[in-house]
Amino acid sequence: MIKTNRILIALIMCIAIVTGMAFANGQQEAAMAADGDTLDIVFINDGHVAPYHVAWLGGFEDAIKAYNKEFGGITGHWLSAEGSLEKMIQQAEATINQDPDVMFVNAINTKAFEPLVKKAQDQGIIWIAVHSPMESADYSFTLGDVTNGYNQGLALGAYYNGEANVAIMLGQAGNPSGEARREGILKGLAEYPGVKVIAEQPADWDTVKAQSIAENWYTQFPELDAISGVTDAYLYPSIAIAENRGIEDVTFWGYDGDIPILEEMKAGKVGCDILLSGTREGWAFVQTAYKVTHGMKVDKVIDFYTPPVMTEEVYAMVKANGFPSDIEVYMVDKALEVAEKGYLEFGPDSVK
Amino acid sequence: MELSKAGFKGKFRISASKNVRYLFLIGLIIVVSTFFTFINPKFLSLVNIGILLRSISVLFLLSMGMTFVIITGGVDLSVGSNVAFAGAVGVLTLQATGNPVIAAIVTIAAGAAIGFINGYFVGKLDLSPFMITLATMALARGLSLVLYKADAISVTNEAFLWLGKTSVGPFPIVIVFDILVFLFIKSLLNRHTFGRDVFAVGSNLKAAHLLGRNVNMVLIKVYVLTGVMAGISSIITIGRVSSGQPWAGLNLEFDAITAVVMGGTSMAGGEGSLVGTIIGVIFYGIIINGLILTGANPYFQSVAKGLILLIVVVLDQVQKNRSAE
Amino acid sequence: MGKVSRWLRDNNIIVIVVVTTIIFYLINPRFLSGENVVAISRQIVPIGLIVLGQFFVLVSGNIDLSMGMSSVFFAILLGVFFGMLGGVVIGIIAVFVVSLMLGAINGYFIGKVKVPAFIVTLATMFIVTGLSGLIIPPRQMIFLRGGFFKFIGSAKLFGMYYSTLILLVLFVIAWFLYNKTKFGGYVIAIGDNEENAKLVGINVTKMKMIIFMISAFCSGLAGIILSSRMGFVQPGLDGASIMMDAITAIIIGGTLLQGGKGTVGGVFWGLLFIGIINNSLNLLNVQDVWHQVFKGIVIIAALVLNWAIRKQSGIEAH
Repeated sequence: MIKTNRILIALIMCIAIVTGMAFANGQQEAAMAADGDTLDIVFINDGHVAPYHVAWLGGFEDAIKAYNKEFGGITGHWLSAEGSLEKMIQQAEATINQDPDVMFVNAINTKAFEPLVKKAQDQGIIWIAVHSPMESADYSFTLGDVTNGYNQGLALGAYYNGEANVAIMLGQAGNPSGEARREGILKGLAEYPGVKVIAEQPADWDTVKAQSIAENWYTQFPELDAISGVTDAYLYPSIAIAENRGIEDVTFWGYDGDIPILEEMKAGKVGCDILLSGTREGWAFVQTAYKVTHGMKVDKVIDFYTPPVMTEEVYAMVKANGFPSDIEVYMVDKALEVAEKGYLEFGPDSVK
Repeated sequence: MELSKAGFKGKFRISASKNVRYLFLIGLIIVVSTFFTFINPKFLSLVNIGILLRSISVLFLLSMGMTFVIITGGVDLSVGSNVAFAGAVGVLTLQATGNPVIAAIVTIAAGAAIGFINGYFVGKLDLSPFMITLATMALARGLSLVLYKADAISVTNEAFLWLGKTSVGPFPIVIVFDILVFLFIKSLLNRHTFGRDVFAVGSNLKAAHLLGRNVNMVLIKVYVLTGVMAGISSIITIGRVSSGQPWAGLNLEFDAITAVVMGGTSMAGGEGSLVGTIIGVIFYGIIINGLILTGANPYFQSVAKGLILLIVVVLDQVQKNRSAE
Repeated sequence: MGKVSRWLRDNNIIVIVVVTTIIFYLINPRFLSGENVVAISRQIVPIGLIVLGQFFVLVSGNIDLSMGMSSVFFAILLGVFFGMLGGVVIGIIAVFVVSLMLGAINGYFIGKVKVPAFIVTLATMFIVTGLSGLIIPPRQMIFLRGGFFKFIGSAKLFGMYYSTLILLVLFVIAWFLYNKTKFGGYVIAIGDNEENAKLVGINVTKMKMIIFMISAFCSGLAGIILSSRMGFVQPGLDGASIMMDAITAIIIGGTLLQGGKGTVGGVFWGLLFIGIINNSLNLLNVQDVWHQVFKGIVIIAALVLNWAIRKQSGIEAH
């Protein structure tokens, strides 16, 4: 009996701690809401654990802090649907009931959210569709996935001067971002008839799966020249396995602008990456939310600026092989700077 | 044989201790709800209760079916994927015929078909329910991706959307439908001989066989029933989102199993109740919904979800152990 | 009943593995190349470690859902210690200590308080998933490079990776533990009938604590291997799919989900089966939308083969 009581006490203490933490959080928000001139931003995303998500959440939280410090009354939080459509719908419904000022929604599938967009707008909430544009949304924040993929494919083809065996690691079947990136990459590679796509496999945005796929490819295709990925998350295990097996002559082509991959470019393994950068995008969200609620002019479709990134050597090489010079390319150091310091492009100073 | 006969007779009487347990669980629900209201007063608003009901309407149906399966000592991992698969077949039928009634019947039949495959393999071929439903889980998800060509299809037929879409004020009408299904199934489980067979199969397959019950048929019926529930769920989901979705129902099988086990049904089979499952579904739904309203960081939400779940089941069990003493 | 048919009945998973191997070999001869075999043998290591721990849990009639995500958590824990203190040894000690603690917590609630294992381990799964994101320094990915990680990740002996050899040794230990010690008998007894186990004087509570400590310890090992192979850690590693693969391997290897029955040998072949399926998806370059269909059909085919063998050997259901 005494033992049972002890468990109970321990459990009650746990409850107390959780309550305390959550309560403090609630109080803070209530205090914010009481103030009239506030900006409450909610971001509903499909996940929260991929490397890109971690950076994204970090940038978003930092930006909220910076804007709040500068202008006051700015709050924001992030919800993760963990890949479940039903969960995301529920989160969107509950968020609309909370009546924030701006909602960013990275819909698992936009068609499912049409009824909710209307509901939110009736309530005066600004709905910003993330990545997959929506006609009905107030704004759409897009990445130009097809163009970015095209640039990556084009750079790859030019790097090998039109002769290469490429394997592409895809997202999850049916995921709109993944499909668009794949379409772009294939389009870019198609400019070089000598480039052969020898394998395409979905790694479902999962690094562990990516690792096995890379290993199987190295075994299966001794002729493999390059691995192209629709996310940088696939590059970490692919590079690690190549290093472990002593494979020197395979290059990697990324998408995301993750800071560690940008650093990896200097070592020469990664040919080209696309500068999204999670931190940068997190900052850009808060800037956008501030702009649209403060009467500044914003295009209905906000095209996030996402240039390809290369080293000086690679850029010189692909340009010599016909990579169009009108496509703006960031050099690694510049990309690293803007990726690390989101406030340079999107900080409070940018909206003054 | 005698023993098992007595065994499953005893389980139909809702004993006093079972009622105490339900009251205790309801008490815990009140505590947890108070806690969430404390953090965010919107938790108790009518709109939020409507959102909560809508969000558990599908889980409710799937958990009903899952309760039967778990009572027979099995498990059905395919229900979540089946929601997507049945929906794909239904939406394509709707596109082809334009007739919502035919489409609805076909949707439910498609769900039942996956259920039949499960039931046939488990009952007739005596294969592990875990393995076969794992295979049909992959198969149903895969077929839904293939049928949808991996992209969603918008649905505009108002009659087909009616069940999942319509609300009276903040409350979805589907919850009334759920209650009707529950009453029907409850009478099936408690009054009809079918219910007795289900418990008999779960308590002791061999004894049930000797008693002259057709174990294979019972198992097939149970899995088909779960498949039918998945079919109905997919009609509700399509109504809710006005479109057919290839990734609908992802991980719902785990939510359903969790709700059933929280409700006191034993994974070992032969024991369980639908009322417990309802309480489990509501409880689980409240935890998920309440956590969204805290607005906490997703990592913190995950920890909180685990802690609350653990605290609830431990308190429940401590109370059960006490009343057993 | 002939000797052959009895052998077939008891070892039909071997037949399944052999048949699948032959089919994939005929489709693509590279499937049996030395390099591919070594690759498979390495890919199954993290799953195999989860399998070893989960095997005892399942035979005892329980389930440990936390194993997959906790292996990711332990990988991150090792990374955090390595990144902060630069020490591999202290990181590994931390992983062992914390994993045993986690196992003890699971075991306490399941054995002593008698909460169903499914719910307890589901709850601890949520907790470790959240903690993985909370303990890692924000916006940082920790790279694990250097001697130890390189050794575990890529060093070979007689053409086999050390991690594979470690797994094989652990399988032998598990076989010994399960078949040659009292412990194994107790686990089976508990899974068969807990009340009877108590009556014959087995301390069920203590046994469950030990079983869950073993499973958590195995998750810790899997975490170490996982981090070494990846060369970095971040919360996005998908532990859930590793765990489902592990449970599938155990059950297709002839262990009952209800407990009380199973063999270490069967589980080993089940593990090979999973490794082969995962490998074949890439080897055959199955198109993305067909992945799931393919996997489903292969498993169903294996199950039907299993049934046919049993039927041929003249064994009536039950």
